[in-house]
Amino acid sequence: MAKLTRQDIEKMANDAKKNVSYVKVGMSTCGVAAGAQVVYDLFAQEIKSHNLTIDLKKTGCLGMCHCEPLVEIAVEGLPSVIYGRVNGEVAQRLLDEHICHKRLVNDHIYELPVRR
Amino acid sequence: MNTTVLLIKDTAISGDTTKELQAAFQKAAREMSMDDNVQIIRVSDLGIYNQGVVVKVLPNNIIYANVKPEHVEKILKMTVIEGTPIEDLLLRNVVAQTRIVLRNCGVIDPESLDEYIGQGGYVGVSKCILDMTPEQVIDEMKKSGLRGRGGAGFPTWMKWNLARQSKGDVKYVICNGDEGDPGAYMDRSVLEGDPHSIIEGMMIAGYAIGANQGFFYIRAEYPLAISRIEHALKQAYNAGLLGKNILGSKFSFELEIRLGAGAFVCGEETALIASIEGKRGTPRPRPPFPSDKGLWDKPTIINNVETLANVPVILSKGGDQFASIGTEKSKGTKVFAITGKVKHSGLVEIAMGTSLRDIVYNISGGVLGGNNLMAVQTGGPSGGVIPEKFLDTPVSYEHLIELGSIMGSGGMIVMDETDCMVDISKFYLKFCVDESCGKCAPCRIGGYQMLGLLEKVSDGTATQDDIDTIRRIAFTMQKASLCALGQTAPNPVLSTLRYFEEEYRQHVQDKKCRAGKCTKLITYTINADTCKKCSLCAKNCPSSAIPGDKEHGYTIDQAKCIKCGRCFEICKFEAIVRA
Repeated sequence: MAKLTRQDIEKMANDAKKNVSYVKVGMSTCGVAAGAQVVYDLFAQEIKSHNLTIDLKKTGCLGMCHCEPLVEIAVEGLPSVIYGRVNGEVAQRLLDEHICHKRLVNDHIYELPVRR
Repeated sequence: MNTTVLLIKDTAISGDTTKELQAAFQKAAREMSMDDNVQIIRVSDLGIYNQGVVVKVLPNNIIYANVKPEHVEKILKMTVIEGTPIEDLLLRNVVAQTRIVLRNCGVIDPESLDEYIGQGGYVGVSKCILDMTPEQVIDEMKKSGLRGRGGAGFPTWMKWNLARQSKGDVKYVICNGDEGDPGAYMDRSVLEGDPHSIIEGMMIAGYAIGANQGFFYIRAEYPLAISRIEHALKQAYNAGLLGKNILGSKFSFELEIRLGAGAFVCGEETALIASIEGKRGTPRPRPPFPSDKGLWDKPTIINNVETLANVPVILSKGGDQFASIGTEKSKGTKVFAITGKVKHSGLVEIAMGTSLRDIVYNISGGVLGGNNLMAVQTGGPSGGVIPEKFLDTPVSYEHLIELGSIMGSGGMIVMDETDCMVDISKFYLKFCVDESCGKCAPCRIGGYQMLGLLEKVSDGTATQDDIDTIRRIAFTMQKASLCALGQTAPNPVLSTLRYFEEEYRQHVQDKKCRAGKCTKLITYTINADTCKKCSLCAKNCPSSAIPGDKEHGYTIDQAKCIKCGRCFEICKFEAIVRA
């Protein structure tokens, strides 16, 4: 990788693409312990086998340890939401209903009121 | 067109009318033939409690509380179609977290440098080394009012300034990632979730004090944190953010990782330095302070992970902006790892000055199982308990010290009426006795003796004199111990004695443990009148102490009973009596 300059950093900060569709899986120790790896693998496999145009990312811990594993999903036209206590079965529903049919899934959303 | 989403949840304690209201919304939406561009979704948790049915409208981010079926049409008409909020229903003062330290945790991919920079990362450090003098950097830190987040709350700028003024060409920056308090894990989360922010914080610290080398000291129990930091270091070196002449300036900075081998005392700065030097991890008397003579006798600063995570934000957004958050003497935010008898355990980052009640009841959803809250423990083994009546205290360094506790590194344990205060103080003291390095007598001997006396209390063999002796030993340890471990080890004992002396008295005089935790003071018996002879207790007894059969009933063999309480919990007819 080329050495960065100040201009590069400022450019990267300004141009950071505001991703419209993504799946983020919380993969810190807490998430992994609660089974996030299974969920991540399932998303990876399904996204690949169905050629979905959505980014899959590993992220750190959101702090909501009581409802790990956490998955944040944003698809075009819908606000991003965080799903908690996601297991393989729920992940499959998220793929079918939220990502493919753009219908949010009942009873699994956990909101986190945060000022940044 | 973007779809509007209504998230609904009944936040009342009893009864759940979410489904009814969801149906009402869906019916109304259908009648107004708008069900294509609105989704009405039930959620598990909105982070809002005791406000009736709450409806959150996304993406407008409007929150309505106490929504009744008669409001349904109005909300759909006004808010969803026209986009205007309904003033009467608005929930205004939502207790929200303020995220500075955890700003990127769970948001970015910790293994991607691009994403960190995309969030404004490394802007602070480039501003520092290209536009500012080290003095200006320290000045900015002074303006921010940031104080050490490891527990003691020493002003960070002052630490940096002392190290800057110390003479010498070689200076060091150390990141203290030896997080050892039971129940505290916010440092791990930051190291795992946002490693580049710590690297940037250390670079700024290095530039400010004139150091060219830094060390991460991370406990070996955090393998994922270590690998993420290793990965981030590699990326930073490859991108020229570490190494020689960073960003074309004269500033060079190198970073290395050292692993802690698992001793709690190595979180103490002089012991930590000894450990990095390869010596036995024991503290030494101060002065000289590390800012004068630290690692290999060179001026050194040691900052906690959380402190360093704040630094890039202060430099990129300005000290004044940071100082606008918090109270007069405690600026910024604090991350707490909230655990124990609380509904939603996890990491909570709040602006200083938020009350403990808001943290427990409004952010974390209240006490588990609807029990009464008894106390909140902060500061881990160096802190103390704060009883229910002081819950409205705002969180700040000063207020917590006034109450006999400390801010600490950020463990917060919620305790309800089923917790015994003697048991709690015994637990924390035992931790400190186990972790005492043994170098100084007050800590090594005092802790051990005090633990023995506490055991007498929980066994019911103590006298009032023993309580006085506990107080005397505690005083000696506070005054005469070499390092903070020994000086603060009696705090949990003293603070429980201060607020819950009655409970100690019950143990000593009445030989009773209210919570039923002190096993020597309780017995379990079966009440033959209410017993249905279902055999459930006998089957579940781990020590086979409940002989009998379904015809003649069961009894508890006191000689065999280990008082685990399993039968008490499992009995459906409340036929097991604890006394």
